Amino acid sequence: MKAIFISYNQAYHEEIIDIMERSQIRGYTYWETVKGKGSFRGEPHLGDHAWPTLNSALLIFADDSLIPSLKAKLKDLDAKSEAMGLRFFTWTIDS
Amino acid sequence: MSLYQTAVKRPITTALIFVAIAIFGIFSLMKLPIDLYPEIDMDQIMVVTYYAGASASDIENNVTKVLENGLNSVSNLKHITSQSRENVSVVTLEFNYGTDPDVATNDIRDKLDVIKSSLPDNAENPVLFKFSTDDIPILILSVTSQESEPGLYRILTDAVVNPLARINGVGAVSISGIPKRQIMVYCDPYKLSAYNLSVESIASVIGKNNRNIPSGSIDIGSNTYSLRVQQEFTDPSELKNIVISSTGGKNIYLKDVATIKDTLEERTQEAYVNNKKGGIIIIQKQSGANSVSISKQVMSKLPSLEKKLPSDVKLGVIINTSDNIVNTIDSLKETILITFLIVMLVVFIFLGRWRATFIIILTIPISLLASLIYLLASGNTLNIISLSSLSIAIGMVVDDAIVVLENITTHIERGSRPAQASVYATNEVAISIIASTLTMLAVFLPLTMVQGMTGVLFRQLGWTVSIIMLVSLISAMALVPMLCSKMLKLKHKESKFHRVVFGVINRGIESLNNGYAKLLGWAVHHRSLVLSSALVIFLASLFILGPMMKTEFFPAQDNSRVTINIKLPTGTRQDITRALSKRITNDFIRDYPEIEVCNFSEGSANSDNTFASLRDNGTNIISFNIRVVKPAKRKRNLNEICASMRKDLHKYPLIRTFSVMGGQQGGMGGQGSVEIDIYGYDFANTDAVAASVKSKLMSNKSINQVVISRDEYTPEYHVVFNREKLAMNGLDITTASTYLRNRVNGVTASEYREQGDEYDIIVRYAPQFRESLEDIENIIIYNNSGNGVRVRDVADIVENMTPPTIERKDRERVVSVTAMVPTNMALSDLIQIATDDMNSIDLPTGITWDFGGTYEDQQSTYADIITLMLLVLILVFIVMAAEFESLTYPFVIMLSIPFALVGVIMGLVINNTPLSVMSMIGLLMLLGIVVKNGIVLIDYIRLCRERGLGVAHAVVTAGRSRLRPVLMTTLTTVLGMLPLAMGRGEGSEMWRGMGLSVAWGLSISTLVTLVIVPTMYCVFAGNGIKRLRKKELK
Repeated sequence: MKAIFISYNQAYHEEIIDIMERSQIRGYTYWETVKGKGSFRGEPHLGDHAWPTLNSALLIFADDSLIPSLKAKLKDLDAKSEAMGLRFFTWTIDS
Repeated sequence: MSLYQTAVKRPITTALIFVAIAIFGIFSLMKLPIDLYPEIDMDQIMVVTYYAGASASDIENNVTKVLENGLNSVSNLKHITSQSRENVSVVTLEFNYGTDPDVATNDIRDKLDVIKSSLPDNAENPVLFKFSTDDIPILILSVTSQESEPGLYRILTDAVVNPLARINGVGAVSISGIPKRQIMVYCDPYKLSAYNLSVESIASVIGKNNRNIPSGSIDIGSNTYSLRVQQEFTDPSELKNIVISSTGGKNIYLKDVATIKDTLEERTQEAYVNNKKGGIIIIQKQSGANSVSISKQVMSKLPSLEKKLPSDVKLGVIINTSDNIVNTIDSLKETILITFLIVMLVVFIFLGRWRATFIIILTIPISLLASLIYLLASGNTLNIISLSSLSIAIGMVVDDAIVVLENITTHIERGSRPAQASVYATNEVAISIIASTLTMLAVFLPLTMVQGMTGVLFRQLGWTVSIIMLVSLISAMALVPMLCSKMLKLKHKESKFHRVVFGVINRGIESLNNGYAKLLGWAVHHRSLVLSSALVIFLASLFILGPMMKTEFFPAQDNSRVTINIKLPTGTRQDITRALSKRITNDFIRDYPEIEVCNFSEGSANSDNTFASLRDNGTNIISFNIRVVKPAKRKRNLNEICASMRKDLHKYPLIRTFSVMGGQQGGMGGQGSVEIDIYGYDFANTDAVAASVKSKLMSNKSINQVVISRDEYTPEYHVVFNREKLAMNGLDITTASTYLRNRVNGVTASEYREQGDEYDIIVRYAPQFRESLEDIENIIIYNNSGNGVRVRDVADIVENMTPPTIERKDRERVVSVTAMVPTNMALSDLIQIATDDMNSIDLPTGITWDFGGTYEDQQSTYADIITLMLLVLILVFIVMAAEFESLTYPFVIMLSIPFALVGVIMGLVINNTPLSVMSMIGLLMLLGIVVKNGIVLIDYIRLCRERGLGVAHAVVTAGRSRLRPVLMTTLTTVLGMLPLAMGRGEGSEMWRGMGLSVAWGLSISTLVTLVIVPTMYCVFAGNGIKRLRKKELK
């Protein structure tokens, strides 16, 4: 079992849900608006006057076998337009 | 779910809602009536009281003063003026604009009930007349005929007047200049005395012989028949053979002592059209009815009515008020269309994409159409005010849409899908576009709460622009995101042509950006220099250009209509007046090729012609109605033509006074005039002051018309009966004066009926027996026993001078001197001259003076507007302070306002246009428009600072990035104003001032704002940082 946390520009939401479905992942936990900024580069997403964009976040627990294809698709998506902002982190958990 | 999210998710619903708005808007556009101005409620009520036999001063003391004192406490009263003439008192109550006419009328009625008991016993009940600017006739038709004249009055009544009067909204149709048919019995006084007859006995015999009397009914056999005497005259010639007396077995017929003429009334108002005798038909509308729709209906009916008339009778149009209104509104509509195209072009040049341009431009028709729905629903009209508000709004409605679209584009370029980008990008800017719309509402909503005349003008402007702004905000937050999500593409292809053209434009904008960034970089390091030079510019323009600026109330509107009133010495005979009028007409037609129709009327008006009899009329008074060709077809404008006519009229020695009025009459759109009211009880003193002001004013070469309101003393013959002598002859004053009247003025003996119409049969002396004073002295008066005595034995005829009408204003005797503003002056110049002249006169004690008329209206309106501006400034400040949560930023932004004033002054002085109410409206709007640029700049500077940039760096970066949107919104507004400012169409003089002030004010203030606001920001931010550091050090 693996956990994957995806933090992304709100505008990506539908595309990411799409990717999940194509990767046969069904269950997720979703926060519609979260704020945050990256550690290295990219614009902060704070929803305030200076940085008006906002992020959404997904927490997914899925079988190990499903994770690699999801990661690959997410990477592709991020590479298409880096300015939007999309980050994900995975770790192993006890089921 | 937010508005934009819903809109993007449900594109069909969204689209259809806006389609519905558009459809309703188009429907309203077709239904909306047209008018020149917003409807102004009645502002004057006349109280007319007849008191027969009283002289002007009796009337003043016994009737007018009583009425004035009683009516003075009616609420909302602006002025109370009165005219006391022989037999009649006319008290005019002038109300503040916007007073409810019904309430005012009731109020007056209540007061009159109380006053009635204090009026003299013989005075008739006071009668109320409601008058408003609406009562100027909307159509004047001319009637010319060769042969049909004797029966013309009846023909016209049946065939034209009655059908026209049935049209909905027509108030009254009256015929003037066409005499009525009368049967005259002209008696020979010598024959009368020979047969011992009198005018009265003849009249009574005629009356008794002209009868139809039902005599009851009789039963004959099985039937009942009614019995009647049917002996009315069937032909006027029957009169000749009436037996009026039988002496010594011989019958005396009427033809023996009198001649019978089937003719026209003797004294009438005559009308000439282009020097051809004819008549005029005057059509007035009911108060509140729409002139354009009425005259449209009248004009469409005319051809069919003309067919029913005898072939030699021709109808023509002398004046059609609606022509000018329709043309004015049309040229304004054209202006709006041009504005729309210009704005579209600007947007396209800046955005460089057809789809984006389309999305943005779409908000214009939708918001304009929405405001038309409001206009229709609230019962307003398409008029100069409502349409120019539309024109003003065009340039501003795109602003919100542009902000939204630009942000969506940024998101899409960053890689977001259009649908998501539309929602999230709109979300980001929603607050800021709502705030900027609120700023505009802070300017325009207060306008809807103003009272009085200013209120009438501004209420529509306020509502219209507010609604347009709100709808454009909604459309920017719903329609624009929806369309963007559907129409914008992630990557759009560019054609080669497109690349070439927009390459150039983009390079231009880029170099402008760089230049501006450099300028800003320099400015933020030379703050004191920049700020002090700005101060110098402001003060210089205020103190050097300011005094050069002239003011007026409303621009004089060129409606191709000239009215001239000419007074000859009182008592001038009608034939002399007529001859002079003809001469003037000939001279005018020769000298003024611009004249299309020249109509004049002279003579005493018939009392059944309400319109004519309310105006000044008499055998010595001529009134001209002249229509000249459209402004586009002539070189001289109306004011120049009027000025030249005045010069020409000075050449006729017979003319005592005259006034030439061009254009609209009354407050709005008329040629400006200065009215000096001189108050004082003593006639001689006030007359002397008035005369000396007049001569002083006339000594100025360019002033060519000064009129004193008080008339001269009128010469009259008074028959003074000696009561003792009358008594010795068994007579009294009443009997004697009735005899006199019956012989000179005539007595109506009976009515002659023909085809359902009645004509008076008048018995009087034949004209040749009432031409000299001897004739009058020879009149024989009979007493009860039938003994005659001549007038000369019981009375003296003396010549006397009757004092003129006594005019009062606000319960004091007044004489007003009215000077027309000449073409090369503005109202303010003439006011200055008049003030100087009045100050140079040594006023006798008890005499005061004041300005009235246009100047008074102007002053009160300007005072209202200035109060309004202060209110608007405070509101704008509050909205901005709330938006920025700061007191310094709004202050910095508001620095651009003084420069808007500089721009307005410069624009008006350079174009030599006086400051009018319309340009004041422009100035008022500028308050909201100019701060928008400041808001955009400061907002972005703040953003850059929050993103961690230093003050100077933030200012330059923000300037660089915001120059484009600022230029774009400014250009759409300024270029949108150009068609208004440069308009040459009919009526364009009305809105030119407004266009000029907005275009100039916004341009100058934007140029200055771009430098001064960032610099000022630096000063405040720098101080803030210093203060912060000091605190930290402590």
